[in-house]
Parts: sequence; structure tokens; C-alpha cells
Amino acid sequence: MKTLFFSLIISIVIGFPAAANTSIVVVANTENKDIQLNRQQVRNLFMGGALSYDLEAISLPPKNQTRVLFNTKVVGLTESRIQSYWAQMRFTGRKKAPKEVASEKAVLEYIKSHPGAVGYLPVGVSIPDELTVLYSTP
Amino acid sequence: MPWRLWNFVLVFGLALLCNAHPIYAETSDKLQFSGFARVVLGYLDDKNAEYLNYDNSLSIDNESLIGLQADYQMMDSLAVTGQLIGHSGEQRDSGIEWLYLTYTPTNALKLKLGRQRTPFLNYSDVIDVGYAYPWATLPQQTYPRHFFSNFDGLMASYEIPSTLFLMNIEGYWGYFKDKVVVSEREMEAKTTGFHGLISHISFKNWNLRGSYHQGTTSVTLDDVTQFSGLLSQLGFSQSADSLATTGVTEVFQFSANYETVDYFVRGELNRIKADFIFVPDTDGYFLSTGYNYFPFSSYISYSKNTTDYEQPASDIPIGLSPVLDGLAYSYLNIFEQLPVNSSEAYTLGTRWDLQPGLALKGEVSLIKGADNESAFFNIKDTAFDREALLYLIALEWVF
Repeated sequence: MKTLFFSLIISIVIGFPAAANTSIVVVANTENKDIQLNRQQVRNLFMGGALSYDLEAISLPPKNQTRVLFNTKVVGLTESRIQSYWAQMRFTGRKKAPKEVASEKAVLEYIKSHPGAVGYLPVGVSIPDELTVLYSTP
Repeated sequence: MPWRLWNFVLVFGLALLCNAHPIYAETSDKLQFSGFARVVLGYLDDKNAEYLNYDNSLSIDNESLIGLQADYQMMDSLAVTGQLIGHSGEQRDSGIEWLYLTYTPTNALKLKLGRQRTPFLNYSDVIDVGYAYPWATLPQQTYPRHFFSNFDGLMASYEIPSTLFLMNIEGYWGYFKDKVVVSEREMEAKTTGFHGLISHISFKNWNLRGSYHQGTTSVTLDDVTQFSGLLSQLGFSQSADSLATTGVTEVFQFSANYETVDYFVRGELNRIKADFIFVPDTDGYFLSTGYNYFPFSSYISYSKNTTDYEQPASDIPIGLSPVLDGLAYSYLNIFEQLPVNSSEAYTLGTRWDLQPGLALKGEVSLIKGADNESAFFNIKDTAFDREALLYLIALEWVF
């Protein structure tokens, strides 16, 4: 909760456009438009776990406001804990962290051009018709 | 000493070269370099003993290290990974820690063949990557340093996804051969038929891990083997058998973590059972809880272990002749000199995440043991009361 509060304060101070949005949508480029995931599945996907679908998670950089919101509302861990988790996974050869792209706009561009790619965005961002919303936070 | 220093400098130089490029330096899409380093400054507030080689002077060369990892993706489903570590401490050898092939036929199944870390406990395969855990050091009471760090063999990992949880099952088989230090003695150890099964479940904020490991270990202790042979020739078979230098070792482990954005609770317990002299049966556990207040998290921990050696046999008669008395005394003396390392530790600390990939930790631990036991202390003065404060500051870096 404090992380969320801290992030919102930062957003207000630096005037990030997503500051007004406190909900997240998870968007994918899939042929099957009926896929729906729950929070546990989204968490698994972005923490490197296997899923029944062939999907590639992509994420935003660590200090990005939308990533902080995603960490808080979906993963349920602090950024530092997530960084520690990926250090453990990488140096034990178990899993690799999702590819990072620079901004929300770059997330959309990447998903559109890569079938199977999945990313998270703040609610309010215009989602192209060819993409599928897999999950929305309450 | 010069060789150890040379290894450390070599790995450090390679790491600097890699870090001349951005984080996760990629020379191409297929070849990736990454690494980790830790600088640990320690001080034991007692002049009468040492603990994990820390004494009452500031030291930086016990647990500081640097590691460099290279991953090369040869094909979509085939990769090779190598990891080189330079240790500053004398207790660990520098050099190649990992070298294995990874075959990933599906996104749920992974096979690794080659030299890998032993996954005994929750953090034992990542013990050198301090950035991966909240504490400045893993408690000696649960993570005894005599556990060997790698093995040669095959590991299979399979993930079972569900809408409610994620389950991972790992199984491995291999062998180990190297020098180890057990009960303050260095010895050549060889473990064959080394295998284990690990199950890991993630469910909401919970992470549970249970594992079982087994292997047949033989150690080279010429003096003990010769003495055992003599006892056997004289007909004292029970005493001779009790000095066995080959036997089955088993490790049982269970850990549970509960984590939220605000706080964490982590606990782990393990049991080590060994069938031969010098390796005691050990029960250990730790419990730690911490509070997150970005960019800090503060924690308190408690850890405890008890060790128990097999009792000496009693088939050598005492009081019949001076020769037999001398034999019995020599036999019992072996057992009396085995260090009993039961102890407990209370720890208070804070981790400060300076930036992604860089953290500073500070902690103080009160270590206590019974008056007649070693309790992991290297005792300099017999008047030592088996109680000391250990201060640690650790800078952790991954790149």
C-alpha cells in the first residue's frame, strides 16, 4: 500500500500522464480472442512460470509508474523483491526476466508486431482492435 | 594465497570488461553476460573467539566475492551456461562454479547437464548471490558451510501450471568429488548415487518448498581408517564399524515464505542425517520476518540448530590391561574431540535498495552456544562464554 502511495505521490510531482489511472489491463497479440486469465495466471506469466498458452511476457523498466502499479496490484511484491527474485532465477539458471521495453507506447508497438507477446498497460490507453485484453485489475 | 588472489582479480577484471557495456551486456542476441558481486565487512565483538573467521578486527576478505556468468543460446531449445567465481575467503575455491547445457523441449520442461549448484536448501544454490536474499548472510545454523556447492550430473525440471497455483518439480542425479572441511578437518570427499527431488508450489502470497536429497559419501581419513582396521583385527568390530568413513547422507528440507508489498515472513527447517563419523546428525531452522518501507526493509530473525554424533561403542573392555585401556582411551578420544556445533542466533538488520541491482545491508547477530560446546566458534580462550555479537555490512551488486 505504501509503495502505491509513494508511487502516486511521485507521479503527481512529475506529472506522469498515467497518474490518474490506478487500474491495469493485460493485453496480448493472440489469434484466440477468447483467452482470459486470472490474477494468479498473470502473476505466474510475468514471474517466468509456464502457462498453457504460448505467450511471451514483456515488461516496463523498474521505475516506470505503470510497472509499480502492476507490481503492487497484480504481483503483490515490491520492486526490490522482484529484482531479488530475478537475480535468484537468473543465477540458478531457472528463468529469465521478461524483456523490457522503454514505455507504454513501446509496449503497444511491440505487442502489435510480435504474435504471442503480452504486456500490461494503464486503463485508459486506447487498445487496438486486433489485440486481446486478457485481464483487468478490479 | 597468491593463486586465490589471482583468481579473484581475474574474475573481477572480466566482470569490469563486461560491465563496460550496459547492464545485461549483450554481445549479440545469443550471447549474454551477467554477474554479481558482494563486499562483506564484518566484526566480532569478542576477543576470545572467531566466528566464521570473523574476529575482533574489521575484515573484508571472508565472504566478499565476484561472479561472472555467460549464457550462449546455441539453438532455440539448447543453451550453454558457464559461471566463474572469485572468492576472497580461504574456505572456498575460486574457479568454474557452473558449466552446463540446458535443453528446453517445451516451456514446462527443462533439462540441465553438467556442473551445477546443489539445491539442498531454499537458498543453497544462490548462497553467493547476496542480492537475492534480504539478510547480510544466511544463518550458519541452517546453512552449514560444509555443504558442497556443486555437483556433476543431470537435472530435470517440470512445471505444472494451474489457474490456482504454479507447481514445479525438480529431480537430479549426479556425483561429487572434492575437498571438504567437516568438524574442523579437511578431507577428500566423494559422493556417488547423489540424487534428490524438490517440489515448489506458489499459491497467492505463499511459496512452499520441500525437498529430499540422498547420496553415499566416502571420505579419506587415513589415520581413522588405519585405527579402525586395527580394532577390527583385534575383534572389536562394533568400535571398528563406528569409525566408518563411508555412509549414506540424507537431507530433508521444508521452507515456507509469505510475502506482501508491506511485509514478509520466511521460515525454513532441515534435517541432515549421516551414517559415518565426523558428520553429525543436525536439525536446523530459522524464522525471519521483515517490514518493507521503500527503499528499506528491516527484519528480525531467529535461527537454531542442534547436532548429535553417534555414541561410541563399548566393546573394548576397560580395566583389564594397560594395553586395552590405552586402546579404549585412543578410541574414545576421537569422539571427545569432535566439535559440537549446536547454537542459536538472534539477528536484527536492514536492507537498503539503493537502485535496481544494488543494495546495502547492515545487521547485527547475537550468537549463543552451550558452555561445553564449540557452537561454530573457533575458541581462542577457554574462558570464552560462547556468546558474541557479530556485526556485518554488505554491499550487494548484480549486473
